[in-house]
Amino acid sequence: MSTITFDPETLEKLQQQKPTRPWRKKPTRFTASVTLAVLVPALIVAALYLRSDIPGPILLVIIYLPLQLIASGIAAWATKGTRGISDSVIIVNSIGASLFSIVVLVSVIGSLIVRGLGALSPQFLFQNSVYISPSTPLDYGGIGHSVVGTLLIVFIASLISVPIGIATAVYITEVRGRAVPYVRFFVQAMSGVPSVVAGLFILTIVVATGAFNQSAFAGGLAYAILMLPTVARTAEEVLKLVPDDLRTGALALGSTRARTVLRVVIPAARTGIITAVILGVARVIGETAPLLLAAGNNDQTVVDPFGSPISSVPTFIFNNVALPYPDAVARAWGSALVLIILVAILFTLARVIGRGRVGR
Amino acid sequence: MSTAEFEDVMDLDIEGAEASTVHPVGPTEMAARDLSVWFGRRKVLEGVNIAFPKNTVTALIGPSGCGKSTFIRTLNRLHELIPGAALAGSVLYEGKDIYDAAVDPVQIRLQIGMVFQKPNPFPSMTIRGNVLAGLKLSGMKRENHDDIVEQTLTAAGLWNEVKDRLGTAAGDLSGGQQQRLVIARALAVQPHVLLMDEPCSALDPASTLKIEETIRELSKEVTIIIVTHNMQQAVRVSDYTAFFLAEEGTPGHVVEQGETTKIFGNPREQRTLDYVNGRFG
Repeated sequence: MSTITFDPETLEKLQQQKPTRPWRKKPTRFTASVTLAVLVPALIVAALYLRSDIPGPILLVIIYLPLQLIASGIAAWATKGTRGISDSVIIVNSIGASLFSIVVLVSVIGSLIVRGLGALSPQFLFQNSVYISPSTPLDYGGIGHSVVGTLLIVFIASLISVPIGIATAVYITEVRGRAVPYVRFFVQAMSGVPSVVAGLFILTIVVATGAFNQSAFAGGLAYAILMLPTVARTAEEVLKLVPDDLRTGALALGSTRARTVLRVVIPAARTGIITAVILGVARVIGETAPLLLAAGNNDQTVVDPFGSPISSVPTFIFNNVALPYPDAVARAWGSALVLIILVAILFTLARVIGRGRVGR
Repeated sequence: MSTAEFEDVMDLDIEGAEASTVHPVGPTEMAARDLSVWFGRRKVLEGVNIAFPKNTVTALIGPSGCGKSTFIRTLNRLHELIPGAALAGSVLYEGKDIYDAAVDPVQIRLQIGMVFQKPNPFPSMTIRGNVLAGLKLSGMKRENHDDIVEQTLTAAGLWNEVKDRLGTAAGDLSGGQQQRLVIARALAVQPHVLLMDEPCSALDPASTLKIEETIRELSKEVTIIIVTHNMQQAVRVSDYTAFFLAEEGTPGHVVEQGETTKIFGNPREQRTLDYVNGRFG
């Protein structure tokens, strides 16, 4: 290895070099036009809002948005000519659309926090509702029994639907048997089953026949019917993304098809398959109707999946939200907040497990 | 198939008067006999007859689209995985037709390994895991995994670069390193025949040289069939060369085959001479 040597003068110059990002520099004309394009419509609308009686939403949609579009168009034209105009239209619209969805999401979560936070307390999270009536003050009782119920039911549903869903996806993408079009059709049709129908189905087939009580197991079965198509279809899309090179590579090493799928294809699609499970859980966790029918209701904490009816967060919300007692309604909002937090925790957990890097 | 028929196949690689000038052909490890290949209704290869003597290197050359890759994939039964694939004729391995109904393709692929044009390490496994993947996937039992990892990676010219990070993800390696890794992976199951489909097309000259040394070294124990677009490479590594060509609208076929020195030095066909001298293709 030889080392390049510079003469002292160059060396000094080189040592004074600082890293820069020349591609970030914009011409003054550009910065000025963009600033104007942002400020002028905002100032006009702010002035109108303060000085006139036009309601805010109408101002935003009917005056601000077109104004912003025109201003950006002019700015783009001034700096980049006509071809800049279409760019600016797309940029303004996409920023506007993403802001809109963020606003919707934030206001849903915001209203949940505003109305639900008051009910939250350790006792609310961990106690059950035995001896609690709708008029009992918020200082007593909790939804611990519903949280346990929801977790148990979702766990049972996942235990059933995840293996079957992945197996279905493997049949469609890897086995590629003759029944693929039919299997795909039925999976698609299943994703259209209304949740109340899934609940009714389990109620008639499992509960009414006396095979099982209303229970976490029966509720889990109803949830599994709803989860299955989501898991299967997402897993199918994910398995399709695994490059064929890996399959032929494994087969060329003398692997059987089963081993290829289990040891190469599914591991390669691991994060995607976890996404499939997450989407499946997200599909069902707030569903109320199937649990009203198949899982029933209970004020006590139940951990036996088969024995007795069991509470869940959505059914608890359903039972309380329409009651004429402020404390019951507050409990319902608190439960809704807990449900959202629960979902966030489950998804984070799944992502952390899924991220596990290859190697040490 | 009788022994007499098999003898026939062994002598197929040369036709006509010049047959006697070609060196005595050793025991044949693999051979294609009257092999024609289709994708759907399109015939892409016609009447290919080649014998691959044991522990030699055969280069398959020819312009893109002449069916070299398709041919090589018929040799370890990967061709049949493509929907619409069909073939006629036979492929013999140790004297037996690998397309016989009683033959398990998994066993064939275990003994006839393959290295692909694009590196395809398994992303869910470490470097070490990739080298040993063949053993796990095929259920083959071999002792001393540490030695296997070191030997095969050394043979593939990658050991010094990765010996301190065998436990890291294979996907973090550069393209050239990944290619040498999959060569090591193919060697770990100790194949009798190694098919290489343009293994060096993604490599820099230094890595290419290492792979070529590996090929020469391996050919003492393994029969190697290599597709290459690099004429110098064919000359450097191979004992025999087969020139494939698909002329306008016709299926690919073998124009000429024989000892590499002869194909490149004194070919019988004008088309071969033009191709190896870069005048077309």
